[in-house]
Amino acid sequence: MAIEDLNRIVCESLTKEYASRRQTTKVLSGINLTIEGNEMVLIKGRSGSGKTTLLHLMGGLIRPTSGKVKIGRFTVSELPNHELCTLLSDNIGFIFQNFNLMPTYSIYENIEIALAPKGYDNRETKKIIEPLLEEFGLTEKSSTLPSELSIGQQQKVAVVRTIAKKPSVIFADEPTGSVDPETADEIIQYLKKLRKENRSTIVIATHGSFPEEQADRTILLENGSVRV
Amino acid sequence: MKYIAKELRRHLYRTLGGISGYTLASFFVLIILSISGSNKSGSTGILQNTGTHLVVYIPTDKSSCKSDLVKGAVIAEGMNTLMLDIDLLYTIEKIAGVKDAAPYLRYEMYHDDYEKYISIGGIDTTSLATFTSVCAPSNIVDGRFLSRLDNEILAEEAFTKAHGLTVGDTLKIFNGRKVLTGIVNSGIKPAKADFYATIGNVRYLLQENLQCQAPGFDMNIVLVEVEDPRVQDHVIGEIRSLMHNFSVSTFMCYEPAYKVMNMINKTSSGLSLMIFIFLVLFSAKTQLTAIFERYREIGILKSLGWSDSRISMQIISISVIQATIGLVIGFILGVVVINLLNNQNLMLFDYIEFRFKYSFIPIVFLLSVTGALIASMFPIYRIFRTKAGDIFNRYM
Ligand SMILES: Nc1ncnc2c1ncn2[C@@H]1O[C@H](COP(=O)(O)OP(=O)(O)O)[C@@H](O)[C@H]1O
Ligand SMILES: [Mg+2]
Repeated sequence: MAIEDLNRIVCESLTKEYASRRQTTKVLSGINLTIEGNEMVLIKGRSGSGKTTLLHLMGGLIRPTSGKVKIGRFTVSELPNHELCTLLSDNIGFIFQNFNLMPTYSIYENIEIALAPKGYDNRETKKIIEPLLEEFGLTEKSSTLPSELSIGQQQKVAVVRTIAKKPSVIFADEPTGSVDPETADEIIQYLKKLRKENRSTIVIATHGSFPEEQADRTILLENGSVRV
Repeated sequence: MKYIAKELRRHLYRTLGGISGYTLASFFVLIILSISGSNKSGSTGILQNTGTHLVVYIPTDKSSCKSDLVKGAVIAEGMNTLMLDIDLLYTIEKIAGVKDAAPYLRYEMYHDDYEKYISIGGIDTTSLATFTSVCAPSNIVDGRFLSRLDNEILAEEAFTKAHGLTVGDTLKIFNGRKVLTGIVNSGIKPAKADFYATIGNVRYLLQENLQCQAPGFDMNIVLVEVEDPRVQDHVIGEIRSLMHNFSVSTFMCYEPAYKVMNMINKTSSGLSLMIFIFLVLFSAKTQLTAIFERYREIGILKSLGWSDSRISMQIISISVIQATIGLVIGFILGVVVINLLNNQNLMLFDYIEFRFKYSFIPIVFLLSVTGALIASMFPIYRIFRTKAGDIFNRYM
């Protein structure tokens, strides 16, 4: 199988409803979508349109109400816990909208925990993390807590944590939504570099802050459906 | 492993909370165990003054040991009694559960000077059964206890007060002369008399001074000290089987004391169980609050590809480490407190002996670790069940 096939994401009639006691909200209804391997795709929609939900579904973080998600030969939406876990540690990287940094861990440790399941030793880990911190200007913050950083810096840490393990599929949820233009550009350039060097597939959710011209394609999300 | 230490350090208050929970639980379990562990020795402690004592005699409707000189008889608990042979004493001493048995010769006669019946008890001055049931050297309030001299006599304090007697007085009593060598206040004892002398002296006095007639001139009462209140019924049964018309009286506190012992037995196992449940609940609670705080972090770890078993191991380890530290502190605390309670002899615990045994260590450790494991079960179940994204949705 070519790497393009391995990193291809396919959504088939993907539906997601959030059920609470009072009501069920249908967020996505019957999404059919293919993202090719090594493609860089923007998923654009207003806030509340279901972008985050779609990303989490594609990465197997939540289960669809119906339909399927496939990444390469894996049916992510039906994968048993332990296989999904391997997929998440080795192939899939999330950059979360709210960063999801561990509040009691230092910046270095926050990145380290992403590499921990891969079984690197301390030296190898250090060799991966230090150049990245350097590149994003975070070296001095290495041992501080996330709460002591600016939002922009936290965003960078979230990016570094995800790209450190060089995942073959990256889901980036509003990665430039809360940073200044220069930082945004830094992040964009790095994602592009990873795409080129690592042949990663990159899926970016944005409500508009991410420049469309940087992506191969923009998918519009509206009323729970896609418009290409 | 690295992250476990980190977790413990990072969440210092949570960790300390967890540890203190286990500390308290281990401490209480240890105290409770040490009470129930000391039941045997505790019982003699409790019952030294309350009723491991039996008074054995044969009641009769005729007065034995009659004298032509005075109006008197051998009396036990207000009843006329038969005289007993010394062999009976040896037989009773051999019954299992009997700690000590002593002969007792108790005589009552009407005395004109006092215008009432007065009593004299002939005692074996070296026997424990005598001390617990009649009077002991420690009951002396004035003068001294009996020696072997044949003219010595002791009197109960109340009697001496009523009749103005003091130590050193020579009394014309029981048809002879006796020197009052000591005054006793023997308190609540089942077989008291107004006067005491050695049993040999009293035998002599009855035979020679009062010229009583009675076969087998040894004693009319056997005093029995039982090893443990729980074998008391057995001992009573054995004695009764020796002779059907034996009257076996127990000191009046025997019943309650007996019940107290059983109560302590029951309460301590009940308490242990309660404490165990408390320990599990408490630690489950600390684990749970910790889990809710940690839930988001667990979601993050899961989204980064940490396996469920790896996260669970972390939770179990944290829980077990807390339990172990808590256990050690609780144990040290417990041992110190046990020693304090025993040494200082606080009035409250006068009758309970706390006894530490090394065998408690594995018991408390097992309880603690079981508690820790049970406590981790619920969060772990949830970790396996919940997807990372759902954790974010729910706990953000
Ligand atoms: N756990 C949830 N329970 C109920 N409704 C939810 C939940 N998560 C998201 N939603 C709803 O689903 C819709 C889409 O949310 P989301 O995927 O976060 O959109 P976006 O990322 O495009 O802003 C919103 O209306 C939101 O209120
Ligand atoms: Mg969103």
